[in-house]
Amino acid sequence: MNRRHFLRHAMLPLAGGVSLLGAGEVAAQSDYRAMVCVFLYGGNDGVNMLPPASADAHARYAAARGGVSIARNSIIALDAELGLHPSLAPLASIWGEGKLAALLNVGPLARPTSLAQFQAWRDSSDAGLMPEKLFSHADQQILWQNAHTETVQLRGGWGGRLMEVLGGQQQAMSFGGASRFGGGRLMQELILPGPGSRLEVQGYFQGREHGARRAALTSLLGDGGNQVLGSRYAGLQREAIARSESLGSVLAQAPANGTSDAANPDISAAFGHLAGAMNNPIARQLYQVAKMVKQRTLVGGSRHLYFVSQGGYDHHENQLTQQAALLSQLGAALAAFWSALKAIGAENQVTLFTESDFGRTLKSNASAGTDHAWGNLHLVMGGQVRGGRSYGTYPSLVIGGPDDAALNVWEQQGRWIPAVSVAQYAARLVDWFQPGMSAGDRATVLPTLENFASSTIDLNFMTV
Amino acid sequence: MQSTPQSVGAASHRTRFKTGTRFAGWICLWLTAALVTACGGSSGDGTPASNSGFIVVTASSADGGSGVDSLNEPDRPTTTKDASRFLHQSSFGPNAAALDETSRFGPRKALLRQMDLPVSQYSYTTVGEAARAGIHSSGSRDFCDAIAGGDSNCWRDYYSPVPVQWEFFRHAVSQPDQLRQRMAFIWSQIFVTSARELDGSYGFAFYHQMLRDHAFANFRTLLERVITSPFMGAYLNLADNDAQDPNENFAREMLQLFSIGACALNEDGSLLDGKCYPTYSNEIVRSYAYALTGWTYPVGGSDPWCDNGCRGNTWKNARYYQGAMVGKQVGHDGAARTLLSGVALPAERTPQQALARVLDSLMAHPNMAPFISRQLIQFLVTSNPTPDYVARVARVFRQGRYTDAAGSIGNGQPGDMRATVAAVLLDDEARDPARAEAANYGRLREPVQFIAGAIRGLDGVTDGDHIATEWGYSGAMGQSPFVPPSVFNYYPPDFPLTGTDLVAPQFGIESLNATLTRINFANALIYWWSIQGSEPSDIPGATGTRISYSRWESLLASPADSGPMIQALDQMFTSGRLGPAGIAAITGATDQWTTSQTWLADQNPPSNWKRERVRTALYLILSSPHYQVQR
Repeated sequence: MNRRHFLRHAMLPLAGGVSLLGAGEVAAQSDYRAMVCVFLYGGNDGVNMLPPASADAHARYAAARGGVSIARNSIIALDAELGLHPSLAPLASIWGEGKLAALLNVGPLARPTSLAQFQAWRDSSDAGLMPEKLFSHADQQILWQNAHTETVQLRGGWGGRLMEVLGGQQQAMSFGGASRFGGGRLMQELILPGPGSRLEVQGYFQGREHGARRAALTSLLGDGGNQVLGSRYAGLQREAIARSESLGSVLAQAPANGTSDAANPDISAAFGHLAGAMNNPIARQLYQVAKMVKQRTLVGGSRHLYFVSQGGYDHHENQLTQQAALLSQLGAALAAFWSALKAIGAENQVTLFTESDFGRTLKSNASAGTDHAWGNLHLVMGGQVRGGRSYGTYPSLVIGGPDDAALNVWEQQGRWIPAVSVAQYAARLVDWFQPGMSAGDRATVLPTLENFASSTIDLNFMTV
Repeated sequence: MQSTPQSVGAASHRTRFKTGTRFAGWICLWLTAALVTACGGSSGDGTPASNSGFIVVTASSADGGSGVDSLNEPDRPTTTKDASRFLHQSSFGPNAAALDETSRFGPRKALLRQMDLPVSQYSYTTVGEAARAGIHSSGSRDFCDAIAGGDSNCWRDYYSPVPVQWEFFRHAVSQPDQLRQRMAFIWSQIFVTSARELDGSYGFAFYHQMLRDHAFANFRTLLERVITSPFMGAYLNLADNDAQDPNENFAREMLQLFSIGACALNEDGSLLDGKCYPTYSNEIVRSYAYALTGWTYPVGGSDPWCDNGCRGNTWKNARYYQGAMVGKQVGHDGAARTLLSGVALPAERTPQQALARVLDSLMAHPNMAPFISRQLIQFLVTSNPTPDYVARVARVFRQGRYTDAAGSIGNGQPGDMRATVAAVLLDDEARDPARAEAANYGRLREPVQFIAGAIRGLDGVTDGDHIATEWGYSGAMGQSPFVPPSVFNYYPPDFPLTGTDLVAPQFGIESLNATLTRINFANALIYWWSIQGSEPSDIPGATGTRISYSRWESLLASPADSGPMIQALDQMFTSGRLGPAGIAAITGATDQWTTSQTWLADQNPPSNWKRERVRTALYLILSSPHYQVQR
């Protein structure tokens, strides 16, 4: 641990997480890298996002799915086996560039798990064998965000732990609300607002009286009432005020009524000035990320970790219509983000990846929807992604097949036992983000990874 | 319990007899000996109150009397500090009148009085507003043009939650049944529905009125009302759920969030052996999904896009959010199933019988008492209660009766909420000020509490404009009422406080923007809106949001001494927790304003040193971490 690393850790509890970086860090930015976690809340149906393209696999899928399947003739074929949901059409060209990859059947796992092992372990209540509380939204969100198998003891996320072991960097930054992902042991994620939000303390004027009021506020926020919740809250307040001064101007930059953002015409154009179809939450969050990447010298730090989110994927009902609407926002936003990265020349320094609560049952229900499942399909995008191909193995698409997590016949709904763990998925991203990380730090970030040491699945989805 | 027509009737009686509650309470008490279940929807077997005879006059609330005559409860005066703490815990916050009354009554009597007050009524549930249901009952394909006459605010006034959100804040600031409103808002955060996925203004009003009416009911009754609510049925897809491939959504969230939770708990709310032993398997989830098939919307809706039969199955009624869902045999599962707590579901059964068995199985589950009790403590008193505190409340939940030296509260039926809420608020850990000194004590005040409490404490009024909606102040703070992002509420009960071993649910919505918005709301209230009120608006029932300073100005007898004014605000807002350093910091700022600043008289509106000192102190106290964290 170098001296700065030590100081950062020593300082955090006192400062409530405030960490404005000095000029020293800016020099390191030629080595700049950023990761963006796109969390699809509610449990995005990955099988519909990346449906099977081959005739026989599609036939099995359509037979089990019934009315909730994507017709084969409307699927965008990415290769012989894999297709793309038509609402994600803007991503097809990024796949063609080789900068978008698919991860097949990923999910929380304690160790490699066969169907027989699932059946033997599922009632074990042992997080060393089976992930806790499978199929529960809140808990599986946590497991995806902490890359672990239990929800209580490990309080932060893999992103927060990553930034903590790096030391000397900004906290993880979220434009998608509070997450477990960005919190560490001591480091709190920064939860930041959307474009146009004025992060500011309002109502101060010139004059002695107002100056005295401001001084008194500072004094009160330095106190917190000698108690844990109060002092933590006071720390948040101090952090908010400090960040409003350091980042407020960047955060507020935005296109106005569909006209270009004067400070960021390149990003603004890529995002269609956030008008029309681009005026949606995920596009607005990624707009903020693009600005922060562009103005990284002002933000500080040579490694940025961002969290954005899109909600509403819990499609128990009327899935075809609802998922298509969300995916069309997502596809447009990701494509715009990719264009923006190219426009600011940062496409090789940023990697974006998706996470979600869980996949969904292959079998549809009586409400033209699907229910909570397990293994899921995901996307990774960036200039250093070895893309245009998929990694892992597509689920069998067989109800009661070798990867259907069930014991009794009437339970079999097509809930895929993942073939790749979240920790394995995260590990390749971490290795790109911070090459040469020590084994000890890597194990701190991803404690379950050692259980997959013998895995032979090709997950080398990054070029460096 | 197919009681749709009666429910509508009960609502109208409620309105008509609103002022007769006190009288009704007495009748109820008198009847108790002869007719145990007559006074509320809270009989232990889940039978809702019948609507015959006597009950018409008792219908001011669905949860009946306290079983204790709160008028005869003796005064047990307490300190101003205790009264202030009690009011922060049990209401949207103290005002001067409540502080006086509670100091005189003491917490026990204040609590019983609160439970017996008439129920505030969302206006869209009243007979005069029946047309609001027209979006689902008119059969019109273009309701806004054809029926609402091209009302330019049609979406807002008929479809959106906005009118109900406005009224939520109006009532929170001004209506006396504060504890009931707090409880209803807590229930809305446990039995979550959300405008993210639902529309129908009248539906919001009826659902949240139901939570108010049953705020102190037996938990079984409350849960039954939630399960059969058409609004909930629409949100979690229980409505029209067919026995053929049932949708698991409602069953899973009912088990995980509404009743027992996912992991086995000790009586004190802690995890068994400190780890998660699942309380149910996926197989059990499916059993509950099957057990709750066959429920559809109440009669009353009319689907303009669908003549009879086009819904694919004629047992399904058109969408309609007033009254309770109806169970239909034809849509109901017919296989024997095994539920939790050893409850067996025979193949031969009606949907109603299956529902009763579902409730039996949940009420008998050992997790329910600690699972619900711990959350009620977290919502009302402290985020990290001691295990003993949870165990004491859970025991009362189970026994249905809270007993202390002054007597007992509750009817002895498991799940009695009067008893349980009394156990939460009258416990030593809630009341003893020494316990509140523990380093881990307290909870972050929720945004709606923060907003309503500030206006209440300053003798103010609000119409909810600029405040209530997602794009108003409450939304910017992360908690616009009735719009949580998902069924998992605005924040989880176990949100970790980074760098500690504690949980702090409300920290789960504290973005930097939300944190600054609290401070900026204090600025808006005091410096922008102030006594002349927020800018004029044309919303129905507009009053603006305005506050009064006169009570505090009158405490400034001498320019040499701001102490009495600051100390009174300290008692009101922070229960006397500012401490010498906090008071010194505030005084340093207030006393910049002096009698020599005569230019203040030329301001618009005119001001003076007293007013500016009050404003300065108020701004600082409302912005302080001492006020944000309720202890």
